[in-house]
Amino acid sequence: MRVSGVGAYAPRFRLPAESVEAALGQFRARGIDRVAVPDADEDALTMAAEAGERALDAAGLEAVEVDVLHLASTTLPCEEEAGTGRLRSLLGLGEDTESAQFGGSTDAGGAALAAALERDDPTLVVASDAVRGADDEALGHAAGAGAAALVLDRDGPGRVAGRGSQTTTYPGSRFRERGSAETTGLGVTSYDRQAFRETLAGAVDELDWERVDAAALQAPDGDLPYRVADALGLDTETVAAGCVVRNVGDAGAASALLGLADALRDGAEEVLLATYGSGAASHAFRLVCESDVPVRATLNGDRELSFAGARRRRGDFDLGTPEGGGAYVSVPSYRRTLAARHRLVAGRCRACGALRFPPEGACGDCGATDGYEDAPLRERGTVETVTTISQGGAPPEFAPQQARTGEYASAIVAFTARDGGGEVSVPVQVVLADEDAPAIGDEVVAVPRVLYDQEGVRRYGAKVLPADSRRRR
Amino acid sequence: MRSAREAGAMRDAYVVGAGQTDFGSFPDESYRSLFATAVDRALASAGGLGREDVDEAVVGTLGVGGRQLGLSGPAVTEFAGLSVPTTRVENACAASGYAVRNAVQAVKSGMADVVLAGGYEVMTDASGDTTKYWLGVSGETEWERLTGATFAGTYAQMARAYLDEHGAATVDDFSRVAVKNHANGSENPHAQLRFECSLDDASDAATVADPLTLYHCCPTTDGAAAVLVVSEEVAADHPDTDAARVAGVGAASDRVGLFERDTYTAIPASERAAESAYEMADTSPEDVDFAEVHDCFAIAELLAYEDLGFCERGEAPELLREGVTDRDGRLPVNVSGGLKAKGHPIGATGAGQIVELWKQLTGHAGDRQLDDPEVGLAHNVGGSGGAAVVTILEEGGAGQEVSGK
Repeated sequence: MRVSGVGAYAPRFRLPAESVEAALGQFRARGIDRVAVPDADEDALTMAAEAGERALDAAGLEAVEVDVLHLASTTLPCEEEAGTGRLRSLLGLGEDTESAQFGGSTDAGGAALAAALERDDPTLVVASDAVRGADDEALGHAAGAGAAALVLDRDGPGRVAGRGSQTTTYPGSRFRERGSAETTGLGVTSYDRQAFRETLAGAVDELDWERVDAAALQAPDGDLPYRVADALGLDTETVAAGCVVRNVGDAGAASALLGLADALRDGAEEVLLATYGSGAASHAFRLVCESDVPVRATLNGDRELSFAGARRRRGDFDLGTPEGGGAYVSVPSYRRTLAARHRLVAGRCRACGALRFPPEGACGDCGATDGYEDAPLRERGTVETVTTISQGGAPPEFAPQQARTGEYASAIVAFTARDGGGEVSVPVQVVLADEDAPAIGDEVVAVPRVLYDQEGVRRYGAKVLPADSRRRR
Repeated sequence: MRSAREAGAMRDAYVVGAGQTDFGSFPDESYRSLFATAVDRALASAGGLGREDVDEAVVGTLGVGGRQLGLSGPAVTEFAGLSVPTTRVENACAASGYAVRNAVQAVKSGMADVVLAGGYEVMTDASGDTTKYWLGVSGETEWERLTGATFAGTYAQMARAYLDEHGAATVDDFSRVAVKNHANGSENPHAQLRFECSLDDASDAATVADPLTLYHCCPTTDGAAAVLVVSEEVAADHPDTDAARVAGVGAASDRVGLFERDTYTAIPASERAAESAYEMADTSPEDVDFAEVHDCFAIAELLAYEDLGFCERGEAPELLREGVTDRDGRLPVNVSGGLKAKGHPIGATGAGQIVELWKQLTGHAGDRQLDDPEVGLAHNVGGSGGAAVVTILEEGGAGQEVSGK
């Protein structure tokens, strides 16, 4: 199997090291200038969807053409429940997709890729993590977020010229107990370094290689990959060419794959990729690009947060969703509408051809009850009307989000169908990042986000960003 | 289906008594005690008609807070000493406007001679968080609400679209609704917010959902209201009653979600309800002397002027600026203070409007009494326009000559 496209995504918000230092009196993560912070309505799954969508787009592969989905993460919202089920729907993969999930350590990204190389059919590999540690530990300071995805098929330009792996036994260097939200470690520095070096170098040693343009190595911080470089015979420029940790932080299972995406985007032709997870396990790959591997990556940070702003987005300062009553959408009735919620699938009336959203009930144009053909909408739409919901005014389900992000806008947006024309109005939330709400007539772009949590079950759906606020890279 | 004009030709129905509780926040009252008070006051105003004369009851409530969601109707009528067939109507904020319409239908059809129509709601006895769960329940739940929109948010979207479509309209025009209705409410002993506000107070208040400020939004309210709808025979048999003829009533429904409608700057259900009410009453907007309209948010009063035919599209701001709808204007609107100042106990609001119409038409409006009005119109909207009902009452009892007609 060969690499035919790469996608990558990191949240737009950055927490600078100096802001952590100003707040806590210390910043102990080495080699990191700033870490990516997910918005309050982003998690490992929404980032996985963002990266997966970009990889499919880069590879020119339709979602329904994917036969296998591999998802790697250590920080999915649920410890038990197939995250691939949600991701499949968010991306629009078919229900006959075979899926497998990889976790347990940050080596999951490499494990997912290694397993994908054994497949025969188009496979999407997605690694995504939103790392979280204690505020008085280096690991907590380093914690970042991001997602990377690779499309593998039989004739992509990226040839995997070799691979290796290693499993050693190093308990205690980095772990998270069941039920805990924070990853920690004993902090035995020399022991941790030895585990990293021995395991990762062991995997790389199985490869046959002479020179590479970039080495995309697991980067729990900005120090460890450089420490192992000597053992591997790599210079620092080659490691730096495959490393985004300085500006993204520790992206867990996505760490090395993000480095790969960045290196490929910058034109690297031969790349050494090595993932590592505590415990310890490592996977290594040598990738040779016979022509350019298409990459779509959005990694830049364009919004800086204070320490309080970052922790507020994480939900440290609010009490969560208030006790309920009133309006309620059951999980079964929510599930019925997933195509519309996750992918903006409208319907075309079988009687008159008019578009309807959501595609159910009598046609708004002709009144017929003949049902609808699926009519996916374009991701860009135009604001028909909009309001900003002031702080404190959100419905209870959205109170935690508003407490964490501040004001958001609620809009009605006109979207056109991808095929056959027509326009239909869709109510959507506009995600704001300190900018004003869009005006009537402005363009917005759909993104996958968390709507809210209820009964312990997370609900995802499309929101929109103002088009002019969307990041280019 | 019978046309509105044909329905008008059936036997007449009259409102011969009406009463309401104070609207406000009453920790010592229950939804049942409030309703019982409204029934007592309606009967006391009805010139000798008593509980034993009532054939049926139709009551409106949304059920904010979840109290007695099922069998809410009998729960209040039995408490109030009315052991009659009771139907509970739920059409959000238009619940008791529809209850009055059902009572009129029962009387005009001949199936009942005396029907009590009323409404009740308690909205202020829960925590702020719990109340917020309930405030949005009449918006479209699965889509509109899941954008994080509140009810204020949906009306704010209408307001934003209105400002965009009618370039001459300003936020101050919304504030003029608040200034007028607060001034009116300050004269109404039953009103919840009995204080005046200035244009600046309203425009400069905290934003709730842009462009609507706190003063552009009605309060949450406890209260109940009840009216007695009787046949022309009953009205004629009780010459001591002060009767107002139900000249017309029209209703319409529409898609619940704003995004599902063709326009965001009108409430089509209001337009259609008004058309059939005018047709049944064989009258027109020009004949209306005063109106109680559904001003849950200030933009809603502007839309009401246009939907009810009081002016052309985009001209509502002029009516406000020129004082046409002030208490001393050509067409006073919301003399009671409206939902804005009188208060908006959801299920009681529609019946409460009919109470005001009856009081004005029969000379019982006290300090805020208008100068001998002959035709009054009530306009009650559910949600953001999923339901609307318009009722037209005329001065004059059964067999009496209606002056000027």
